[in-house]
Amino acid sequence: MRSLSAHALLAILMVASSAIADDDDNPADQSVARKDRGEQLAAERTASTKTQLVDTSTKRASLEIATYADDDHVTVFTPSIAGSIENVLDGASLKGRYIVDVVSAASADVVSTASPRWTEVRNAGSLEATYKPKTFGITLAGSLSSEPDYFSFGLGSEMTLDLNEKNTTLSAGFGYGHDDVGRCGAENSPANTGPSCTSFGVFSRPVNRSTFNLGILQLLGSATTGALIMDIGLENGDQSKPYRYVPMFTADVAAQAPLGASYTWVTQNRLPERPLEQTPLSKHRLAFTGRLAHRFDGSTVKLEERLYGDTWALFASTTDARWIFDLGKRVAIWPHARFHAQTAVSFWKRAYVSNSSIAGWDLPEFRTGDRELGPLWTATGGGGLFVYVGGGNDPQSARLTLQIDGIHTSFLDDLYLTSRNGIISSLTFEVEL
Amino acid sequence: MKLILLVLSLLSLLACTHVAPYERGKLAHPTMNDSVAAGPAAEHVYAVHEGAFGGGSVAESGCGCN
Repeated sequence: MRSLSAHALLAILMVASSAIADDDDNPADQSVARKDRGEQLAAERTASTKTQLVDTSTKRASLEIATYADDDHVTVFTPSIAGSIENVLDGASLKGRYIVDVVSAASADVVSTASPRWTEVRNAGSLEATYKPKTFGITLAGSLSSEPDYFSFGLGSEMTLDLNEKNTTLSAGFGYGHDDVGRCGAENSPANTGPSCTSFGVFSRPVNRSTFNLGILQLLGSATTGALIMDIGLENGDQSKPYRYVPMFTADVAAQAPLGASYTWVTQNRLPERPLEQTPLSKHRLAFTGRLAHRFDGSTVKLEERLYGDTWALFASTTDARWIFDLGKRVAIWPHARFHAQTAVSFWKRAYVSNSSIAGWDLPEFRTGDRELGPLWTATGGGGLFVYVGGGNDPQSARLTLQIDGIHTSFLDDLYLTSRNGIISSLTFEVEL
Repeated sequence: MKLILLVLSLLSLLACTHVAPYERGKLAHPTMNDSVAAGPAAEHVYAVHEGAFGGGSVAESGCGCN
């Protein structure tokens, strides 16, 4: 909360200072003016090619500090830095990002395995290069993510083609990713602590991911754009969580398990066996995402809808909306709303039944305690604000952005929890170098 | 599938509009691009909280959420 208060105070100060320094430049006109300036620079470069080289590239850097906290005792602190260099005239750009996640948790899942609070650090980076001299462009991208018990990398390429004077842009992409899922600590001991981690060479579960996407971006009018993207994902490997133990019950008890049953109730009523989670070894995913953006006089509305389904029988709908209002020439604010609802995977049970006997265990083939695989809905609401803080001639050369959202999730068929409330905030400073 | 065809049909109909380059002043407004969107941290939170994917980059690494 102290961090949020500091963010809010900083934002208010920035609004006040920017209101004083407000000027009459229109942001859209400035964008056009910048393009004109680019053409002028190109002409100058042509005229003096043999005598002097002119750097027409645009360099940007940004720093973001984000925090997340919820009432399930999970907190995340995420600083990240990003940089880009772009030459619009040559159609080339290079972008990079480095992000750190510091996660601290003692959620119901962890408590149910009798483990104490743990802290884990994830380091992730990505690099993206694009070359689009005229109407055809190609992007190569790579990403890397590392933490004590999880290593992942991804490579991808995307091609774009502008048609009909850039009224239509088609895109097609392919990506490949590989994850190594490891394990730290033993049951009933502090998990996720570096020194006690099992090396990936001794224990790891590989998961391979392939993704394909096709997209179309269409100008729908002089102030409206629309986009439709299809994503296909093929995942192979054991994605079961190596820390998650699933309680088993007799059929009679399972039928009476209450929604959000407490840890005490589960302990008193479960069977002695407590197997690890086990999910199917492959998953095929399909998603359609539609985006619409419209510029009114003084505001911009952005809508996004995603429909998703996979071979585990999880179907979901995600709707996201932002309405950005100009407040003067340097400031904009927006409300943000997001709603996500999903069905459960086909093997989801609030309480799993085991018919074990003296002869041995008789467990369900697939079993999970991952709440994000169960039926749920999530409502997110909040807003954001940005302030251009660049110099008088080019206020857009620097920008400060503050976003705060509250997230409520309702778990419809789970043990331990029936809801979760969280808050995520971020403060970003971007500057043109 | 019917919904997809409907959306595609609507897009196709609206695509009959041709916007000349000199008519794109509003489209060039900074808020029309992706600069006002969820940051990397918020995207990661959504990815972990929602059992779905799509609409992002093709070269994303895994969530690391075991």
